Amino acid sequence: MPANWWTRSRRYFLYVVREFTALPLALWLLWLLVEIKRAGDGPARYSPHGSAAFVVFSVIVLLFALYHSFTFLTLAGTIIHLRFIDRPVPASLIVLSQFALWAVASGVIAFVLIWFGR
Amino acid sequence: MIRRQALLHLLYWFAFAQGGVIAAVLIPVHVLIQGILGPLGVVPVVDRHYDTWVRVLGNPLVKLYLLVLIAVPFFHFAHRLRYLLVDLGVPAAKGAPAQAVFYGGAVLVTLVTIWVLLTTVPISFG
Amino acid sequence: MPDKKVTIQATRFDPDRDEKPRLQSYEIPFSDESMVVLDALNYIKSHVDGSLSYRWSCRMGICGSCGMMVNGTPKLTCNAFLRDYWPRPVVVEPLNNFPLIRDLVIDMDDFMHKLKSIKPWIIRKQEIPLGGGEHRQTNDQIDEFRQFSECINCMLCYAACPVYGLNNEFLGPAATALARRYNLDSRDQGLTQRLPVIADTEGVWECSFVGECSVVCPKGVDPAKAIQQTKLDTTMRFVLPFGTRE
Repeated sequence: MPANWWTRSRRYFLYVVREFTALPLALWLLWLLVEIKRAGDGPARYSPHGSAAFVVFSVIVLLFALYHSFTFLTLAGTIIHLRFIDRPVPASLIVLSQFALWAVASGVIAFVLIWFGR
Repeated sequence: MIRRQALLHLLYWFAFAQGGVIAAVLIPVHVLIQGILGPLGVVPVVDRHYDTWVRVLGNPLVKLYLLVLIAVPFFHFAHRLRYLLVDLGVPAAKGAPAQAVFYGGAVLVTLVTIWVLLTTVPISFG
Repeated sequence: MPDKKVTIQATRFDPDRDEKPRLQSYEIPFSDESMVVLDALNYIKSHVDGSLSYRWSCRMGICGSCGMMVNGTPKLTCNAFLRDYWPRPVVVEPLNNFPLIRDLVIDMDDFMHKLKSIKPWIIRKQEIPLGGGEHRQTNDQIDEFRQFSECINCMLCYAACPVYGLNNEFLGPAATALARRYNLDSRDQGLTQRLPVIADTEGVWECSFVGECSVVCPKGVDPAKAIQQTKLDTTMRFVLPFGTRE
């Protein structure tokens, strides 16, 4: 099979994009680790990342992150099969509850990051 | 009875799935707030000032949370990137050495994260 | 419209004479809007070139024999209408990812071995004698596995699967879907016999959930789901404290 098989159809291509999301997300988490490490620099020398290039990088990572969240939570709905009072729970309901969990978690984290930043 | 070699793949997949959920649910909001809105000055964010960042980083619950946020997804990334290499025509990524490099890399990130979290800001309950 | 024509480009390959497969063009009358690709192949064989080889049987989407690549997509040719492609030429090739025997005929031995390896029949720990009565099932119990039992072994999912294309040791979509069909059957007790095959290194763990198998299935089976659910179930058997680790 030729190594460029994934360029033959849109769905194959989107699959490879989905798998590729791992790379930008990994780089961003490594940045977060560095940001934590820099807190050890002391009050005088500490300065958070904030260049335009970093913001652009984060915007690109965010697009990949959203694509990962969207695909992963959607596909997880087709995998998980739960039964409630002897009836299978519809996949759409499972997907919906996962997106709800994502929304709630995002809200809580955003609140903590901003509230304690004042 | 599943062969021991196959059990390893079971564990890889289990870690991959856990990491995928953590990454899907937690990462986007961090990127949005800490990577975009914070640097642009739209909202105040904990890591923009030394005092607020250190105060939060000292909390043991925050340390535990950050360990989960950073370390667990790396098992997901390791798995995906290894399979992606196979997909792109690198069969060597299937072998035991590649497995050691990728999942070992995730273990290494976990250890480094623990080290950074424990040594950077001392634990405080303030 | 008089004398409407359609161009069919079919793979020709004679292992005794040809080094590699080539496409041959046939222009045939497109006389009826309900014509399918298989009708076109039958027309060529009857009226143009009797040496064209391909498999087919029922021509109504039941037997699973006539799977081929139609314009690059795995299709049952009895279910691929010419009107959906016309006036463009229709390229008919043998199924991807399988060794070619002749023209449009592929070697299906590998799939047959895989199918047999997952023991696609009901396994009982103790066989109940015929006089012992029937195995009863409720509608809910049938609904558990019904969609996976629709598989007709047409191998379109294997032709669509890049993982199988890269590594033909992979157990693959249809075999796993059928294994799940029996594992989910309330009458079956054969899970521990199938587990060493489906959960082996070349079993479900090879799948990276491209999902194309479920897209091309002509019978609405969802093999990708069967594989991911098998991963989850097998993992849970091992990681949960009350799981069965056999």
